[in-house]
Amino acid sequence: MQISDIAIQIDRVTRAFDRNRALDEVSVPIRAGEFTVLLGPSGCGKSTLLRLIAGLDTQTDGTILIEGQDMRGTPPGARGLSMVFQSYALFPHLSVRQNILFGLAVRKTSRAVQAERLKRVAEMMGLGPLLDRKPSQLSGGQQQRVALARAVISDRPICLMDEPLSNLDAKLRADMRVELRSIQKQLGLTVVYVTHDQVEAMTMADRIIVMNGGRIEQVGIPEAIYARPETTFTASFIGTPPMNLFPASALFSGPANLTVGIRPEDLHLTDAGPRADLVGVEYLGADRLVAGQINGTPFVLRQPAQSPTPRDRFHIGWSQTAMNAFDATTGKRLHDFDFSSLSPNQKDFDHETA
Amino acid sequence: MIGETLFDRILIRAAGTILALLWIAPLAYAVWAAFHPAAYEARFDLLAPLTLENFYSAWSQAPFSRYFLNTALLVGMILAAQLVLCTLAAFAFARLDFPGKSFLFGLILVQLLVMPDILLVENYKTMRALGLVDTIIAIGLPYFASGFAIFLLRQTFMTVPKELDDAARVEGCSLIGVLWRVYVPLGKPAMLAFGLVSVSHHWNNFLWPLIITNSVETRPLTVGLSIFATTDSGTTWSVINAATLMTSAPLLLGFLLFQRQFVQSFMRAGIK
Ligand SMILES: Nc1ncnc2c1ncn2[C@@H]1O[C@H](COP(=O)(O)OP(=O)(O)O)[C@@H](O)[C@H]1O
Ligand SMILES: [Mg+2]
Repeated sequence: MQISDIAIQIDRVTRAFDRNRALDEVSVPIRAGEFTVLLGPSGCGKSTLLRLIAGLDTQTDGTILIEGQDMRGTPPGARGLSMVFQSYALFPHLSVRQNILFGLAVRKTSRAVQAERLKRVAEMMGLGPLLDRKPSQLSGGQQQRVALARAVISDRPICLMDEPLSNLDAKLRADMRVELRSIQKQLGLTVVYVTHDQVEAMTMADRIIVMNGGRIEQVGIPEAIYARPETTFTASFIGTPPMNLFPASALFSGPANLTVGIRPEDLHLTDAGPRADLVGVEYLGADRLVAGQINGTPFVLRQPAQSPTPRDRFHIGWSQTAMNAFDATTGKRLHDFDFSSLSPNQKDFDHETA
Repeated sequence: MIGETLFDRILIRAAGTILALLWIAPLAYAVWAAFHPAAYEARFDLLAPLTLENFYSAWSQAPFSRYFLNTALLVGMILAAQLVLCTLAAFAFARLDFPGKSFLFGLILVQLLVMPDILLVENYKTMRALGLVDTIIAIGLPYFASGFAIFLLRQTFMTVPKELDDAARVEGCSLIGVLWRVYVPLGKPAMLAFGLVSVSHHWNNFLWPLIITNSVETRPLTVGLSIFATTDSGTTWSVINAATLMTSAPLLLGFLLFQRQFVQSFMRAGIK
């Protein structure tokens, strides 16, 4: 990868507040022209990282490079980026037109350029008829579009978004996901998008950065994040329902210090294999979620709705390739773990319960 | 209002009416006396002849035009200085971090608690030291850094969502740019409300200007009027009333004209 591919380089960035560390030595490159999603639970430091990139806050330690330039001391307006906020942050005293043109007016761009760009962006966003309204006279979805238009009109290569869709209703959110993505592709924007919603992350991202407790858990394309989680945190955060995590002893008579992860859809009912107790069943239309318990460890199995509902006691099976191995103490993925070294302990269970 | 009975309603309406009548009575009398010849000062007669003679007489007997100019300069200067200084101070207290911030803000709150009259002597000494006795600046100077304005604007600025501030900065605003393009427009109702309070207060302020001025060139209307009303033994009540009406007319008219806007901005500024 060449340097020029990297739009933003985060290098050992720490942000400490009085009580806690919102970010702890975070390092990650963000590639130019990609849609990068910062994903993690509430309070994990996503917004903090975004604000540091924007220059709205200053890191305690570490460096942030944009297009290879150290950004320390550079004000937000001079970083070549635009931003969309969760609350949309439209200026209530200005009309839609003035809101969209705000940045150009601040930078004293010529009237002709303003008019030409406004025409183009308003058309692209379908805001033409709304230009003379005040933000308070718009619906949530329309306000969202104005906020987007204000970011797009600046013609800046990087766009930062902090949970921009979370105030919209479900239908609109789904539409906007598609639209945001197409705008990003069309304009070749480098987007850094913060969300705690994994559906948004999975559907929109070129690359996902999974964060937890001020650290980065994993960086990768959505498929890799889903199929090969690097940590038990990622495994239990991604997927609805998330990956099942079993202590190895529940499934095998193997080593104690091992956690085995298997996705609900990779489990199936069999006649032989570890024996589980039924806890509950949830019908989802196409699928059915079966909640069970093996030796005190809860898990979820996903099966097609047509297949028979399991009885109170049932056996589960899975394919060798569906297994993920994690170190039980550190929670880190064990690459190249050889599952054939483990022997099933199904006999023991049978014996116990017989 | 919750659980308002008929009795409550009658009581509230009656009390309101009585208060309003009490409040309007002196003004009504002044209007009566000013527009009728001196003979009707203390005699109510619907058919009494109307006249503007009292106004001509008052205007020619004292330099009211100069007093008007002085008061207008004074009020305008104070309001302008207050808005500029207090907006800047309020912005600093609302959104910046600096050492000693809460201590300084505490001092400003203390200013709200101190009766200005206590400081008359001290202020006079200061003005003398500055060589400003008997100037219009001296009348206004003690009021420039209004604790009330700083407090009110700070509270208003603190209600401005942080994300608006952030958005303006990302769009390229400097600190002053953010203040000018975001905080000031959003603080307008509070500023208008404060402006009304400030203008009416300083238009009517009497004691301090009386002490610090002693010439026609600096005297505001209030002081001029009091001298006109007391020293000249020849002036009649009706002329004095005409002069009084004349001096308070601009404020009254201004309020009547902009009543709706004022009430609205008071509501929005959270002072009721
Ligand atoms: N201005 C601040 N002062 C103190 N702590 C803060 C501040 N901003 C954020 N934090 C803390 O930093 C952590 C990360 O916050 P944030 O980045 O907003 O999380 P996220 O956006 O991922 O939900 C949280 O624990 C939060 O309480
Ligand atoms: Mg956040």
